[in-house]
Amino acid sequence: MRLIYLALLVLLIAPVMADSDDDDDETTSREFTLKVDEGVKIGDYRMELINVVSVMDGLIEVKVWKRVSEFEDWRVMEEHRDSNFDEGADRGGLTLTVIEIFDDESVRMRAEYRDDYGYPRKYTTERGLAPKNLPELTVEKKFDRTDISVNDEVKVTITVKNVGNDTARNVLIFETPPLSQFRYLAGYPPKIKSQLAPEESDFAVYSMVAVTEGEVPVPALVVSYTDAKGNIASVSSSSFTINIKPRRKPNLDLIVEPVPPIEHGGTGVINVTVLNKGEASAYRVEIKGETTPADGGIEVTEDNLGKTYFEIAPGASKNYSATVKGSRSGNYTATIKANYQSDEVIMQKEVSFEIIVLERPYKYLYFVLVLPVLLVAFWIFRRYKEYKY
Amino acid sequence: MLNVLMIGVGQCGNRILDAINKEAFGGSTRLSKYYSRQKFPSRVETLAINTAMNDLKELRFTSANDRFHVPNLHGVGANRSVGKQGFWNNQDMIMDEIGKRGDFDIAFMISSASGGTGSSFSPLLIHELKNQYKNISVIGIMVLPFREEGSIYLQNAAFSMRDMMEVETDGLILVDNQYLKRMGGDIATAYDKINNMVAQRILFLIEALDSEMLSVTDLGDFKTVMRGGTGMGTMGFYQADKKTPSLASAIDNSLKPSTLLYPSNVYEEAARAMIIIQGSKKYLDVDVITTVVEKLSSDIGHVFKGIVVKKGLPKVLSVFTLEQAPELEQMYALAAQAIQEEKNRKNRAKKQLDDAFAYIEDLEEIH
Repeated sequence: MRLIYLALLVLLIAPVMADSDDDDDETTSREFTLKVDEGVKIGDYRMELINVVSVMDGLIEVKVWKRVSEFEDWRVMEEHRDSNFDEGADRGGLTLTVIEIFDDESVRMRAEYRDDYGYPRKYTTERGLAPKNLPELTVEKKFDRTDISVNDEVKVTITVKNVGNDTARNVLIFETPPLSQFRYLAGYPPKIKSQLAPEESDFAVYSMVAVTEGEVPVPALVVSYTDAKGNIASVSSSSFTINIKPRRKPNLDLIVEPVPPIEHGGTGVINVTVLNKGEASAYRVEIKGETTPADGGIEVTEDNLGKTYFEIAPGASKNYSATVKGSRSGNYTATIKANYQSDEVIMQKEVSFEIIVLERPYKYLYFVLVLPVLLVAFWIFRRYKEYKY
Repeated sequence: MLNVLMIGVGQCGNRILDAINKEAFGGSTRLSKYYSRQKFPSRVETLAINTAMNDLKELRFTSANDRFHVPNLHGVGANRSVGKQGFWNNQDMIMDEIGKRGDFDIAFMISSASGGTGSSFSPLLIHELKNQYKNISVIGIMVLPFREEGSIYLQNAAFSMRDMMEVETDGLILVDNQYLKRMGGDIATAYDKINNMVAQRILFLIEALDSEMLSVTDLGDFKTVMRGGTGMGTMGFYQADKKTPSLASAIDNSLKPSTLLYPSNVYEEAARAMIIIQGSKKYLDVDVITTVVEKLSSDIGHVFKGIVVKKGLPKVLSVFTLEQAPELEQMYALAAQAIQEEKNRKNRAKKQLDDAFAYIEDLEEIH
């Protein structure tokens, strides 16, 4: 009986054991994306993407090896074709398929392997961690001034520097279209060296003149280059906005110190200050002066109320004086006019001030008041004496 | 233009002369002499003569040059004899002072008839003036005293008036204080009023004699009037007001006793008269004037009329001489009585003194 039961147990266990062997042979497949110098860990197997040989031809180069074993296989794989490594998935190895090559750097792949190897885990290879010999450019676009007004000349400096560890080739600057708010003078379009060695920089300068006021968005500048492999790369400067103010103008201010009243027959000094309070130079400044009424009651005796200056810079001032003589009492008005130019525009400034010539002093004028009193007193006294007996 | 000399002698004469000078200033205030000028209608020279310095000092409107003090005298004490002697002693000096003032057509000798200096100097001065100025007419203006002022004053008035007539004065205009006393008020005010009345009339007369007239009266007419009757006369004056500007009424009023300087009934006592009428032409109706004057002439005798056209209400001055002066006769009677009483008093006093001295007639002083 016991044997029967044992036989039955063996009979029952045998199929189960046979089923468990079948389970060990089951495979699974997973898809993943890899970049060059990246790899995936699948069980003890390691698969690394060495290079995209040809995107067009659908060829990549991979390295597959097994940890703690002799197995190592370098192979060029063809897109959409399964490749077995270490006898393939069915025999405990790997079956890899290139599903799609995105570009020179990345591909999408599928791995088939025994189910018990777990999920593929990506890692960066030692070669990927090591620095690459690639050019890397930085670009900067800079205006020499931020306070810009119409008619101001602006110098734009474009600086390109290779901060990579390989020579950048075919370096080209793309800056189009030109800004319509500026009139370009020289150096445009900018050009720099076509090759830049590591740590080498180059710059281009061009000048332009602001012609229209308002806000101007300055777009990013693009610099393209290729590496040793002919791979094309590009880098952009940052974009920014500048504000162009209205045209700068000179603004002359004629400042005349108050002239104290001039005594009859005396002289007075008129001190004039011509101050440019504007933001631009005043050119061909011609100052003229006159007094009214022009009856000869007041005349300029020394120097002149007029003056000429070729240029008065912004913030600068000029001083001059004139001496006037008052020969007739009265209130006179002196007017000083300044004509000046800036950018072919003629401007004018005028100031008027009063000059008082005092009446001739009559020192003994009080006698006019006292005399009648004295006369009356004398008259009364005389009458008193006349009638006093 | 008339050359007029006005001499005020003695206190009374000085004061009337001062009133004339004041009236000439045209001012009613005491200060008018300080701001105004005298406006005499003719060339008028004034001279105040006195023996008392204090009387000269109290004058206000007569210039110092026109005041003459007879030296070495301090009044004559109402004694005409002392006064006369004082004049004779200083006659040359007085006449020189008058002579400095030039030649004259007429002189008014203003004095009191009763005082000392005035009553004694005036007749003598008139006599000398007549000698010095051959063609001069001298009119005396004599002020008669209050009757109760005292026997000496009455006596002086009586004798001085006789003296005045004896020295051939061309006329006497009498001003009777006694008569004018009726104006009332205190004595000082009464004197001032009398003086002002005389001054106003004298100046009016001078102006009339020296003006271009519608109907002319001149110095000759005036002298003719003053020679009429007793040679003594007086003046009446009336100024119409707006309520009664009637010319006939004004002439009539100027002849009423109330407007005269000496009490008189013009229609019964006057010998000759002169009526001078001044006013705006609209008031001067010649027919009315002629009618009134003709009526007056029928009562009095000859009446001269003068019409002066001058802006203002009618003013009338009447000057006339008297052929009868009962008031004067009465005054002389009083004077005679006063002289007699004075004489009696003096005799009684002398007798009483003689009787007293009789007690020591046979005795001698023993020391």
